Amino acid sequence: MTTPLIILRDVSKIFAGAAGPFSALSDVNISIDQGEFAVIVGQSGSGKSTLLALLAGIDRPTTGEIVVSGTAVHTLSERQMSSWRGVAVGIVFQFFQLLPTLTAAENVMLPMDFTRRWPPKERLDRALALMHRLGVADQADKLPSTLSGGQQQRVAVARALANEPAVLLADEPTGNLDSRTAESMLDILAGLVRDGQTVVMVTHEQSARRYATQTIMLADGRVVPDDALVHA
Amino acid sequence: MLNPRWRKVLRDLWLHKARTGLVVSAICIGIIGAGSVLDAWSLLRRVTRSEFDASNPASAVLRTDSVDAVLLARIRAMPAIAAAQTRRTILATVQTSLGPRTAMLTSADDFVTNRIGVIKPDAGAWPPRDGALVIEHSSVDFAGVALGDSLTIHIGDGPRLSLPVSGISRDVGLAPGWMEHLVYMFATPRTLAQLGALASMSELQFVVRDRSLDRVAVQRIARDVRTLVESTGRKVSDVNVPVPGRHMHAAQIDSLLYTQGAFGLLALFLSGLLVVNLISAMLTGQVREIGVMKAIGARGSQIAAMYLTLALLLGVIASLIAIPLAAEFGRLYAEFTADMLNFDIAGYRIPLWSFALQFAVGVLLPVLAAAVPVARGCRVSVSDALRDFGIAGPASGDSALLLHGTWGLPRPLLLSLRNAFRRRQRMALTLGTLSVGGAVYLGALNLRASVIGAVDLLFAPQHYDLSLRFAHAHATDSIMHTVTGVAGVASAEAWRGARALVSENDGPTGGSFPVTAPPLDSRLLTVAVDSGRWLQPGIANELVVNARLVEDVPGIVLGGNVSLIVDGRLARWKIVGIAELGPSPIAITTRETLDRLSGRVEATSVVIAAAAGAPASLSLVRNVRAALEERGFEISSGQLTSEQRSVMEDHLLMVAGFLGNMSLLMIVVGGLGLASTMSLAVLERTREIGVMRAIGARHGVILTMVQAEGLVIAILSWALAIPLSLPMSIALGNAFGRVMLKVPVHLVPEPAGVLRWLGVVVVLSLLACAWPALRATRITTAAALSS
Repeated sequence: MTTPLIILRDVSKIFAGAAGPFSALSDVNISIDQGEFAVIVGQSGSGKSTLLALLAGIDRPTTGEIVVSGTAVHTLSERQMSSWRGVAVGIVFQFFQLLPTLTAAENVMLPMDFTRRWPPKERLDRALALMHRLGVADQADKLPSTLSGGQQQRVAVARALANEPAVLLADEPTGNLDSRTAESMLDILAGLVRDGQTVVMVTHEQSARRYATQTIMLADGRVVPDDALVHA
Repeated sequence: MLNPRWRKVLRDLWLHKARTGLVVSAICIGIIGAGSVLDAWSLLRRVTRSEFDASNPASAVLRTDSVDAVLLARIRAMPAIAAAQTRRTILATVQTSLGPRTAMLTSADDFVTNRIGVIKPDAGAWPPRDGALVIEHSSVDFAGVALGDSLTIHIGDGPRLSLPVSGISRDVGLAPGWMEHLVYMFATPRTLAQLGALASMSELQFVVRDRSLDRVAVQRIARDVRTLVESTGRKVSDVNVPVPGRHMHAAQIDSLLYTQGAFGLLALFLSGLLVVNLISAMLTGQVREIGVMKAIGARGSQIAAMYLTLALLLGVIASLIAIPLAAEFGRLYAEFTADMLNFDIAGYRIPLWSFALQFAVGVLLPVLAAAVPVARGCRVSVSDALRDFGIAGPASGDSALLLHGTWGLPRPLLLSLRNAFRRRQRMALTLGTLSVGGAVYLGALNLRASVIGAVDLLFAPQHYDLSLRFAHAHATDSIMHTVTGVAGVASAEAWRGARALVSENDGPTGGSFPVTAPPLDSRLLTVAVDSGRWLQPGIANELVVNARLVEDVPGIVLGGNVSLIVDGRLARWKIVGIAELGPSPIAITTRETLDRLSGRVEATSVVIAAAAGAPASLSLVRNVRAALEERGFEISSGQLTSEQRSVMEDHLLMVAGFLGNMSLLMIVVGGLGLASTMSLAVLERTREIGVMRAIGARHGVILTMVQAEGLVIAILSWALAIPLSLPMSIALGNAFGRVMLKVPVHLVPEPAGVLRWLGVVVVLSLLACAWPALRATRITTAAALSS
């Protein structure tokens, strides 16, 4: 039996708010294997994005353990977390979050630049190859503001894949796209999974579940059975 | 090929031109402020030293009856003397197109071979030929003449001759003629003789062999020379030993430059605060990008390096723009200052170290200013950075409480008031910059009032309207009899003047200083003594001196006794009082004391109060002069008190103006600060402005809100500047005291000045906010809400 790529044990996250502590996640236990397409679904405020932020090492759990690709993420310092994040996970945001003053290709090269994982001479070729794979190679020299939403999201996926991360984390990647483009984006992610990439995606779109190899349903910060909301 | 992150740095600079422009402008102002003073200082130090040394200034000057070739040869043969030469200076009157002017004519047997106090030809002929005059460069404008013009000149009772101005030359050893209100001219002994003056030389200039000697050592040599001159039966009336190697105005110029340098540094510091403000705001605008970069693997140190490099580049750009400008301003300022010193600054280069220092400061200033905001910005966690951000919530604390009510104000204005307090740190920095600018402005106005007050105080004891100086001493009764008979003269007093030399056991030491001697019961001079007492009748030789004399001449202390040679007679004198008598060293005794010492009742000048209804004028001077000359009195010079006062006031106000000019620099820095604050406020509130427009706010409302917010800051800074101007007035007053003379410091700004500053800040605010306000009106609802 192989060890899961991602393990969450008894993870809780409590935020201190003006109106008192607020529990975003409670006793979450999840395991995701290599090559899975895990889809985290739930209603707004259910804790989906918080869970993804914990997986990405963007935030820390209040209690519990998070192990991604053999690294106990919750034990890393801020500095270690940055270095780890650069090579272990790739993140796709809902609003793309491409840097506006860099061209599409430069945005893709940026993670390679930070982590120095690839020799400088290879970075552009690698960026172009990734963009070609995602169908946006012809947009390489354009600034993000000149691209459509779908094109920007493809560039963002290419950027997330730049350092060959073990896990691709996508936070509502289709949330800002029209239905046709959204469908296309889901196809792209599914294609990546077929090629062996592990993808964890947060979405509120029920249609995305058909691509999932594992669906994690969240309600009020807790993992609930897949059909709980349907029966509620 | 550059890595993407460095390309981002460059593009951030290029794409945010307005922000880049503001930061660069802020750094430029700081560098120009401090750099121009540094450039001027470095240039002046080198030029004044090299030019002054090149002129081979005299180590000492002795005035005697006459010096012939035999005596000159004996002095030149003295072992301590490297060179000696003679000349004659004599006062004359010239008629210029601007009116009559007092002239100082200098003559020498051979100007060309003279090697002490070398005079440089500027234009036209040099040396002067017989029957022609050469004018000193700094007197040209004051005399209103040009090369080739003719001037009507006379000496005392001598003939009035019209002589051509055949050349212009420069004597760096002279204080500028325009400043001294003197027309310096050079003429041959034969020309002097044509004008009825003695052609023989009466001044002896010498240079000591060892140029490293200090003033005391040179004074000892001067004493030996004096002894030698006196051993030939001649009288020595004056010995002047300047500080070796130092121009007469060097200390004042140094003080002026140090003070302005301090203001330059203040401008640099304030522009540094502006940079802190701008870089903080820039990082606030890039928090999300920082978060994204961290999310994709950037370490804090990598991001810090990017933004510090950005700051460094801003510094490099600003330095490249500002350093040449500072050099230009520095050259202009140095030229202006050199003109005050009577030096020619053209053709001199600013030393490289000055540029290097400015570049280092210009580059490091933004890096240092950015260090704290960058460190803070890079510490923001990814989750905080990626969360929706914007301006922090409403103001809290006291100001929030103050702004809680509506106070009966219209909503948009209330919003402007609250907005002004939302970014407290930025508000404080902007307020501080503008307030300091205001404090310097008000302090400069106070200084001006102080200077005028000081001149009032200086002239308050003088109750006469004009004074005439005789070429020789005359009997007092005879003078008084002649003068009081002239129409328009209300009262007159005959005064005596002499030069005094401090003497020790073995002879005179130090330089000389003037002693003025009005009659004991003088009504035309009533001096208020600062410490000690005024002169009293009796057998003692008493002196009241001014503070500058106490500073300059060792041995002169209040209550002390000092041996002085006055009019060639050695006597003990008691210093009984110290009074403010102007910026030059001077002492006062009674005419009766000098009469008693000389055994003759005589005077060397006459002071006159004009009758009521017959105000002092040039015609009165002419009438008195004519009456005196008719009776055989030879007059060497005459001056209206009002003219004397305007000379001094011009002199002092010019220096005060120099100090006040620094407020302009502060106003520019303050204006930039306000402009940047408001630009950033608009930038940060794009969404908020969009919402307001969505709910019906018109252009005018948005425009008024931005302008009102700027005005709130401006008016607060105005109010703060008033108390801040108190220490600034004291600082400026002290600085002026070091440069020129002590002035009674005005602490309370004049209401007119305070209102004028209010006008300045209001206009400044309207101008500074014009662009941000216009930008705010151009924000479309759709764009604002989708951002």
